Amino acid sequence: MLSLNSHARSLCCIAVLAMMACAPFRTAHAAADAQQVAQLQSQLEQSLKAIDQLTARVRELESRMDAVQPGAAPGTAPATAGSPASAAPPATGVAPATPASGTADERLASLEGDVAEITAANAARHDDMGLPLHGFADVGAGTRSPNNPDLHGADVGSLDFYLTPELGERTRSLFELNFKMSTTGALVTALERIQLGYQLADATTLWLGRFHTPYGYYNTAFHHGQQISTSLRRPKLVEFEASGGVLPAHTVGLWLAGAKRMEMGRLTYDLYAGNAQRIVAGVIDTNNVGSPHGDAIYGGNVSFLPQALDGFRVGLSAFTTKVEDDLVARNLTRVNNYGVYVVYDTDRWENMAEYYRFDNDDLSGSTGSHNSEMGYVQIAYRAGAWIPYARYENADFDQTDNYFAAQRSGGSYFRTALGLRYDLDWTSALKLEIAETHLTDRATDTYEEALMQYAIRF
Amino acid sequence: MLVLGPLLAGPCFSDAGAPRKSLLEQLPQSWIDDQGRDINLAEFRGRRIYFTMAYATCRRVCPMTMAHLQELQSETEASGQSAEFVIIGYDPAVDDPQAWQQYRRSRGLLRENWHFLTGTPATAEQLAHRLGFPFWKYDKHVMHEYRIVVVDEQGKLAAEYGTGTKQLLHAPPERLSSAGAQVRQSEK
Repeated sequence: MLSLNSHARSLCCIAVLAMMACAPFRTAHAAADAQQVAQLQSQLEQSLKAIDQLTARVRELESRMDAVQPGAAPGTAPATAGSPASAAPPATGVAPATPASGTADERLASLEGDVAEITAANAARHDDMGLPLHGFADVGAGTRSPNNPDLHGADVGSLDFYLTPELGERTRSLFELNFKMSTTGALVTALERIQLGYQLADATTLWLGRFHTPYGYYNTAFHHGQQISTSLRRPKLVEFEASGGVLPAHTVGLWLAGAKRMEMGRLTYDLYAGNAQRIVAGVIDTNNVGSPHGDAIYGGNVSFLPQALDGFRVGLSAFTTKVEDDLVARNLTRVNNYGVYVVYDTDRWENMAEYYRFDNDDLSGSTGSHNSEMGYVQIAYRAGAWIPYARYENADFDQTDNYFAAQRSGGSYFRTALGLRYDLDWTSALKLEIAETHLTDRATDTYEEALMQYAIRF
Repeated sequence: MLVLGPLLAGPCFSDAGAPRKSLLEQLPQSWIDDQGRDINLAEFRGRRIYFTMAYATCRRVCPMTMAHLQELQSETEASGQSAEFVIIGYDPAVDDPQAWQQYRRSRGLLRENWHFLTGTPATAEQLAHRLGFPFWKYDKHVMHEYRIVVVDEQGKLAAEYGTGTKQLLHAPPERLSSAGAQVRQSEK
């Protein structure tokens, strides 16, 4: 027992040192001084080493106690792999160990819990250090490049950094910086989103900046992180502008986003106004620093999620904008877009469908009004880590409409795709997709693709 | 460190003479359940509690966590014991009591000892930090990992489950009286 007391006393000392070492960690965080933080990190490492020593020490104690008391109860402070344990000091200092073995056992068990809790708390505090940087990355390979069917082999997808610094109780911010390759292989760095907002109510925020235009469902559901989307790539018709999309995926302006809980379900709404977009070199440009003629885009989106059917959502969206192109004639087109979407997203199914109609007017020429339409249906089934999916998309664009004629990707097409996603773990996924695309007006052609993608988040 | 320790020691130690608070007592106490009732975590004192965090539109991690909690529920019952299962919402702005009510009903998670709680963004974050649930939000998505924390009848940490599988990370055997102890031990 003398030996036990001696061990218990030693363990008490070590435990106090460990707790002293962890205490400055919080203080350092409050001080936010880099040098002090580094110093305290070093102290934390020392404390963790001390915990390891404690674990070893308790194991030694256990073996000795077992030797002395073969019939001892199994609850006498055992330490499992990975579970730190030590003798227990009270919070204010080192108390003398008592000679009774039962008391020592209790103290050991108690301190084991204390040290485990300190360890858990320290682990939880790691992301308190400064502004956490998160993001996504993806790479791939295939018989064709997913965004340029004329290229073949491996491809670099994108690297996406995402920041949401907490500025105040109601002040919101969101920054997304994206590095990706253009369809020709050039590195494109884009400040995809920069939003500063003010939370007007629990579920209502007013944003100012560059945001994903809230039309339909996909554009504000999946954003740039490929790891979170089931499919290997976005439907072509709601792709981002530089990747071949025909809709203004980004808007610079004001955006009110909110939700309202009702007895029957939940209503979400978006209202926005911003710079009208233009078409430059065949690609929609967001006009990040202002619209040349002060033209604007106005739009809204409303969806309903009924209380009676979990995962179901139905919505409507619309926007109107004036888009000027850079063709010789410098056409100006009034673009009116109307969308409807249905989503059924449950633990098993991820099904979605979107349909858009364009009623565009030629404001600068005499080609008149033009109607075009596009849509897709995607069905996916979640079978644990495996998620097979199928998608059909169809776009029928009026080629006498300057809005589509001026866009590099403005040709009509339909595409069928079958894919399989496999979650390697919670942060990474492997995706395979085979697709067949039919180009139906500008150039009549058909091409097949077999694609692979490795996508992660961090 | 001996010199700096007492000077810098603050929140890690309680006031002189005061008993150290248990883990349960250190958590934010006030929540609202899916029926709109005020819930204080102190009500669960003296009972084993399985804690996890979730968000109602999570389709990957949370369904697996709920399945594991159901297994733990069955194992607890089989061993003749009782426990409380507490699920805290990551995003109170979206996961309000009505959302959790719908979540429970659609998944058949209707047992009375299961509590789906909503707090404020601050209390959710405090609890997440205290119990070690790292998370970040990507617009409407909450990036988080699989994790269950078990608190024993004394309000102390008893076990942790985590990583991509139902892996037991930490569990002093004398505190893990549940029959669910056959999961493999961590290599750490």
